[in-house]
Amino acid sequence: MAVFESSERLQEVLGGFFQFLLTQEEMAKKLLASKMVIKFNYTDPALSITIDMTGSEGIITFNDTKKAEVEMSMKADVAHRFWMGNVNLVIALARREMVAKGPIPKILKLLPIIKPAYVLYPQYMKEKNLNIG
Amino acid sequence: MAFSDFFQFYCPTKLVFQPGISKDFSAELAHFSLTKVQVITDAMLVKVGLVAPIVEGLKNAGIEVVSIFDRVPPNSELKIIQECADEAIQKEVDGIIAIGGGSVIDTAKCVDILLTYGGDLVNDYSGAETLSGPLKPLIAIPTTSGTGSEVTHAAVILDASTHTKLSFVDRNLAPHMAILDPELTFGLPAKLTAATAMDALTHAIESMTSIQTNPISTALAMQVIPLIRQNILKAVLNGQDLEARSALMTAATLAGIAFDHSMVGVVHGMSHAAGGLAGIHHGLANSIFLPWGMDYNFEKCVETYAKVATLLGIKREGLSETDLARQGIESIKKLRAELKQACGMAENLSEAGVSQDLLEAITEGAVNDGTSFYNPREVVKEDLLPFVQKAFK
Ligand SMILES: [Fe+2]
Repeated sequence: MAVFESSERLQEVLGGFFQFLLTQEEMAKKLLASKMVIKFNYTDPALSITIDMTGSEGIITFNDTKKAEVEMSMKADVAHRFWMGNVNLVIALARREMVAKGPIPKILKLLPIIKPAYVLYPQYMKEKNLNIG
Repeated sequence: MAFSDFFQFYCPTKLVFQPGISKDFSAELAHFSLTKVQVITDAMLVKVGLVAPIVEGLKNAGIEVVSIFDRVPPNSELKIIQECADEAIQKEVDGIIAIGGGSVIDTAKCVDILLTYGGDLVNDYSGAETLSGPLKPLIAIPTTSGTGSEVTHAAVILDASTHTKLSFVDRNLAPHMAILDPELTFGLPAKLTAATAMDALTHAIESMTSIQTNPISTALAMQVIPLIRQNILKAVLNGQDLEARSALMTAATLAGIAFDHSMVGVVHGMSHAAGGLAGIHHGLANSIFLPWGMDYNFEKCVETYAKVATLLGIKREGLSETDLARQGIESIKKLRAELKQACGMAENLSEAGVSQDLLEAITEGAVNDGTSFYNPREVVKEDLLPFVQKAFK
């Protein structure tokens, strides 16, 4: 069974979590320095989340058709496992659990920046009473 | 070596080796049922007469060569790929024969994407694992012994409009077959022979120390190191030495399979940056940076470097693991000195004509290069700069 039962639920949880990450000063500063637009395309359930980091603050939109420099496609379950800290991005790409369009070095550069998120994600879920997985 | 928690090995490329085989590999071609093909190569190879006998062999095998695209530059770019693909599509070819070095073979991989699936190369396919299925048959015939592109599932292309390098990584990009004919490298000039072989040696060593190293790629890399050490000078001093040419070609292909699975590290990071900023040849840059990159990683790699040292022919007796590892690095510097004497290959950046003003930018480029992610030691500008400076003189 899929971790997220509906697109609405996925938007609430991951969308909310991304919004929360952008309130983390250190991380947000580094993310904004990347000046990237990154789009996550999820399936099972379907949803896309775009994070625009080109301005002075990050902007999150859903099912946006805006052109993104990097697009990451994956099952929502894989995303959940990733933010739990249980997926190695490079291995996931090699196994085609994730597909990455765009400059891979730039994606790899983000990994050390988002490292604290692996601890924050389960905490966030707990605080919000989002019992998943 | 510590076993990582996951590894996979996938090399779908059929390898066929024999001196002279590029002129007639009809037995192998029969498996592909090709009727009309495009040959992708560069003008120099046509000029020196390397391409004609291969084309003749294809015709004798009953294959129509409807296009010979010979305008691939040393660093291939998007515009060339589009032109080449347009021709392939217009002539309705059912397969591609790439004859050349890394740039030609990488070009052919990208042309094959457009030939098979159409679309826009950058928007639809740059990145990792973006292809939905296999490509039309691509047969690679390397004419240098270095890049390993004939067996890797990646292609790197220049976007001249933005001066950025675009990478394409997909399991379907590995050529279907590689024809390894060492006679094709007889005419490779001494300096280029040395530089390309040093590229392959760097692939082997960095594949052993990468954070993604695995027992299978290491087994291949360990075979590469003595092959190159024992044959590089012979091939440099006598380009017609079939034994040495055969060894180097085999080694480069093995090293290609190794680093295709494990990736490379900071040596390549510095070389990519120096290539982009100063136009220095990739193999030459690796040769210059290899000992300094190894030095940068030393603390993390003592055990592996000790193994590298023995593979380079250093006797273990009486030496501590650390001393043996150090001797490995010294032995590479010694090899470079021998190559300099044999063919005048530069030993440092200054001799290679790289301006001292670029050292900081090269360091920064290495930090931002995709390879630094796989390096065993974190690539930090302040830490790396002294090593780039040492590579200058
Ligand atoms: Fe290389």
